[in-house]
Amino acid sequence: MTDRQFIGKPTNRVDALEKVMGTARYTADYYLPGMLISRCLRSKVPHARIISIDTSEARQIPGVHAVITCDDFIDHGRFGFPIVDMYMLAYQRVRYVGDPIAAVAAENEESLQAALKAIKVELEPLPGLFDPRQALSPDAPLVGEKPRDAEGYPHGNLLIDYIVRQNDPDAVWKECDLVLDKEYTTMHQEHAYIETEASLAVPWPKSSGVTVYACCQSPFLAKNNIIQTVGLGSEDVRVIQPYVGGAFGGKDDTMYQTIAQTAKLALISGRPVKMVFSREESMISSYKRDAMIMHYKIGAKKDGTLMACQFHGIVDSGAYAAITPFTAWRSTIHAMGPYRYQACSVDTDVVYTNNGFAGAFRGFGNTEVCFASELAVDEIAYRLNMDPIDLRLKNCLRPGDTTSHGQKLGDDVALAECLQQVRKLSDWDRKRKEFEQGDPARIHPGELRKGIGVAAVFHGMSLGAEGKDSAVGTLRINDDNTLTLTSGLTDYGSGSRTVFTLIAAETLGINPSRIHMLRPDTDTAIDSGPTVASRATVLGGNATQVTAMRLDAILLNAAADLFHCQIVDILRDGENYIGPNEEPASFDKVVDHARQMGLTLSTEGRWNAPENHWSFESGTGKPYFAYHFGAQVAEVLVDTGTGKVEVTGYWGVHNTGTVIFPQGILGQLYGGITQGLGYALMERVDFDKGFIQATNFDEYIIPTAMDVPEIVGAFVEKPFSDGPYGAKNIAEPSLVPAAPAIINAIFHATGRRIQNLPANLERVLIGKDLRKEGSNTACKLGLHQV
Amino acid sequence: MERFGYVRAATISEALTFLNQPGYKNRPLAGSTDLVLLLRRNPDLCDRVVDISLIPEMHTIEKTGNDVIIGASASFSEIISNPIIRETGPILVEACKTVGATQIRNMGTIGGNVANAAACADSLPALVCLDAMARVLTPSEEFNWTVSELVISPNKTRIPAGGLLVSLRYTIPPSGTRGVFLKLGRRNAMAISRLTVAALGRLDENGRIADARFVTGSAAPQICRFKDVETSLLGQVPTPALMLAAGKLATEEMIRLSGYRWSSEYKVPALAAMTSRALSRVFQVREPSGEVV
Amino acid sequence: MIFDLIVNEEPIHTEAPADISLLHFLRDHLKLTGTKEGCNVGECGACSVLLDGKLVNSCLILAAQANGRRVVTIEGIHAEDGGPNDLQQAFIEYGAVQCGFCIPGMVLAGEALLNSNINPTRAEIREAIAGNLCRCTGYQQIVDAIQATALKRQEKGRRD
Repeated sequence: MTDRQFIGKPTNRVDALEKVMGTARYTADYYLPGMLISRCLRSKVPHARIISIDTSEARQIPGVHAVITCDDFIDHGRFGFPIVDMYMLAYQRVRYVGDPIAAVAAENEESLQAALKAIKVELEPLPGLFDPRQALSPDAPLVGEKPRDAEGYPHGNLLIDYIVRQNDPDAVWKECDLVLDKEYTTMHQEHAYIETEASLAVPWPKSSGVTVYACCQSPFLAKNNIIQTVGLGSEDVRVIQPYVGGAFGGKDDTMYQTIAQTAKLALISGRPVKMVFSREESMISSYKRDAMIMHYKIGAKKDGTLMACQFHGIVDSGAYAAITPFTAWRSTIHAMGPYRYQACSVDTDVVYTNNGFAGAFRGFGNTEVCFASELAVDEIAYRLNMDPIDLRLKNCLRPGDTTSHGQKLGDDVALAECLQQVRKLSDWDRKRKEFEQGDPARIHPGELRKGIGVAAVFHGMSLGAEGKDSAVGTLRINDDNTLTLTSGLTDYGSGSRTVFTLIAAETLGINPSRIHMLRPDTDTAIDSGPTVASRATVLGGNATQVTAMRLDAILLNAAADLFHCQIVDILRDGENYIGPNEEPASFDKVVDHARQMGLTLSTEGRWNAPENHWSFESGTGKPYFAYHFGAQVAEVLVDTGTGKVEVTGYWGVHNTGTVIFPQGILGQLYGGITQGLGYALMERVDFDKGFIQATNFDEYIIPTAMDVPEIVGAFVEKPFSDGPYGAKNIAEPSLVPAAPAIINAIFHATGRRIQNLPANLERVLIGKDLRKEGSNTACKLGLHQV
Repeated sequence: MERFGYVRAATISEALTFLNQPGYKNRPLAGSTDLVLLLRRNPDLCDRVVDISLIPEMHTIEKTGNDVIIGASASFSEIISNPIIRETGPILVEACKTVGATQIRNMGTIGGNVANAAACADSLPALVCLDAMARVLTPSEEFNWTVSELVISPNKTRIPAGGLLVSLRYTIPPSGTRGVFLKLGRRNAMAISRLTVAALGRLDENGRIADARFVTGSAAPQICRFKDVETSLLGQVPTPALMLAAGKLATEEMIRLSGYRWSSEYKVPALAAMTSRALSRVFQVREPSGEVV
Repeated sequence: MIFDLIVNEEPIHTEAPADISLLHFLRDHLKLTGTKEGCNVGECGACSVLLDGKLVNSCLILAAQANGRRVVTIEGIHAEDGGPNDLQQAFIEYGAVQCGFCIPGMVLAGEALLNSNINPTRAEIREAIAGNLCRCTGYQQIVDAIQATALKRQEKGRRD
């Protein structure tokens, strides 16, 4: 490995100082003179036709400056990507509890609340659809709008469907010694970013344009949505991304609504308008990780060879498509897990219901299928009396293998290494023997039992064949010889600003402290698509490297001119350039010389991801240009008297390629595992007839510091040729295998297979979930003040 | 416009004067951790809060003869770190440790926990197990109720309008008494209790159970000692079988008090296990997990 | 009502409604925006401040309750030169910070712990920050940072 100055060395996060001092300003922290506050009136019913909305009385209330409905937007504020089915404010129908109907901007809380109360909305209730299994039945209430290109859609509630096909599993079952046939379900998951949704729109003089400060996945998408629905020119809209208090995929569609609403309110009122969600409003109105029903049939030989996999999944997208078509496609591609099969068939149906709505969440569709497939594979191992890691090693994808999609893999694949390392790190073999496998018939109630479980993951990098995939970075040398770096990709905590800074510094051979990385601003950065699908490090990192290499070439030219030599004769020593006479010239001197030469000291670099292709008809292709691999082991202590599960140990080994920012990558791993632990054991978004039952952190519980064990992480740094300095992604795959590893450990401890998430007290103890009936008015909107 | 006003009382008598001042709908404010939320949900609850959290005499924790008196405004943190309670009522310390997390324990008070009387209040089972008495004052009267008399049902107490819970008192259990408090929540901090059990007991010189007190929280609408469980233990030599049987009795008593509810299918086996575990630890009997405590 | 209190060593004299929370008093009236609102029901700890040295959720306290008392917010935590203090520096170095939204509360929870327990175990640190939810970090590097600071402060204590 080449000697590197900054990459892989301990570094401080570039924005950590402001954050520990409390001076980092998030959207809600901006207070401007004359600023109005705003809020939406939201639907309190899951499905209804809007007969009329009368805002006239609300407009008359003193202190109220603007009241808007869908009629204030072009084409009723219709938007959405990839399927256009949402509105900035509800049009014709409300489709879930929390759907925004109207928005008010007012001087103070009293006027705001009075105005929200004074808006008269006449609704005609429509039957609700709450069971995704019933969505495609002929008499199901129709939630989806018939898409405009309705031909070929068998049912209005079918949002989209996908397949993967490799040979015919039905021809292989007879060759199998064991065929497992099981159903698994996952529940919705709330992102639970600690910063709620917030947007601040500032109108330009005479409302000629608008600047919006908001937390979101992509300021460029926000801007485009404003242009299209508010009707401003591209030059009249600027979206600036302040610090973002976590997103995890959750600050997409809901935020674009909020941003467009505040932009419109600001333009009408001529005043800055801020909208900050209460936690209750955030929980009720924002989209979740989708819930899935998954049916697996997997066949294996006695020796543990996996033969065939058949999958049928139903994805509950809720009231709108949002990004679910993409997440469900990822579910489809990843449904068979990181294993070789002779035959494979995957069918995924994405349906509309009135259960809130679903969208992007870290893991992006893989989380659900990895949970189910890793449980199924684990059960096969136990039923064949095989060690679960041995079975995985026997079948896991290796360099040069062909996946079930027909994709030939490169030599960056290192799942076997991950499995072997995690086995060693966790002391797997000793513990497997020591923790006697649980047998429900023989456990005394009240026994405390230990167990250990494993799960493996593969995760396609970036957007894949879901969309065109590229990113742009820019670099500029300023007058004081500091550098300004931009990327269109957002850092909402993941650390990508630090990663990009290190890549630029390494490439240019200069100290990272010279480089100032701007937060995304549509006026200074170039659109690089959304920061989703763990694409920042590879996409943004490569774009940064390309732009830095271009700038480096310019400076080398200048140095060659200064030394009167060839570029190849120049060496670097720290920031210094060394000419053939061994006379050093400082970076500043070379930059000054470049200026004298009249060179332009700013560059732009674009990186396009390698070509992918996918045939939706045949269910084959090359869905992603490469994959991340990883394996995690969980150790649990189960109280068989109460069903309480304690995760007492955790190990994760991931095939990340080169580690660029060591503290950052560990933080991503720990954080992802912790979110997965919550998903496995406690996080429960329960829709009762469309009403979400948990609306704040008292009922929607996420892990505290006392619920998480000490985690041991390690990385297989097999360089990835298409990654910047050989790096791969980490954000999502760290979370994905955590739930199955924990649930498999519970099985080891208790002999009880929990097939539905979360594995809460009730499921672990009595094997089923319990629910308080008749509480479907639990939604608590509007608890905002005091 | 202010939805409610605020006054701070310096003494108990000033608090009683404020609470009974005509023209106001008053509400005592102790730790504020519950009341602020209640006020947000129901702004008509009161038009003035009377802050009793800074009354020095309501923070006193003292030993008088064989009794310990705890000022009602003592915070959970104050109780946890108090040497008198640590020595004489460790079960109460254990219960207070399970409340919320640092922030809530620093603000929340024992008196507020009792007076708010939530079904899941963590200190209640421990106080009832200690047979604690509550002292309630009005401008003209003084009441002394056991905590289990004081709490009528969830969020309902005997404290009269304008009355103030000023202190709690328990008699120090005889030496040789051992106590155990167990809380079951969905996570390890900031958890609303699904079930709590508090148990106290003592063996006589012959190794037979001389005293047994047993209370559960979050299990029944009324917080009280489970007499059937206690009776089944008195005079017996503790054995694993006896503890298991007591667990079963506890669940029967819970169902008798609360009826069979949506959660009972889970709470019955869980309470049985927690009961026999707590009692096994009190009487130092081998537990199913094989641990000898 | 009239407020007279000490915030970050500064006397504050101002008028504000009696019914607002300390959180909104700090943010809306004093513009001390380092204190964050995450849930407004005392579950997340993002609004943690020190009241007379004790860690509290400012969303669950009325501003009036802080009247005449001492409040320390994240803006009041720093080294003598105004830069990061040792704990804040450790948060930076140990990678304890991701999105940063919970961090002001975490730093105050760490300070509150170290003020009362100079030699905490990792379990005690976890208990001390259990009222502060973090969705990004999994807490481990936060525990590392607090533990490292505790060790440094012990060493310093021995030297002084």
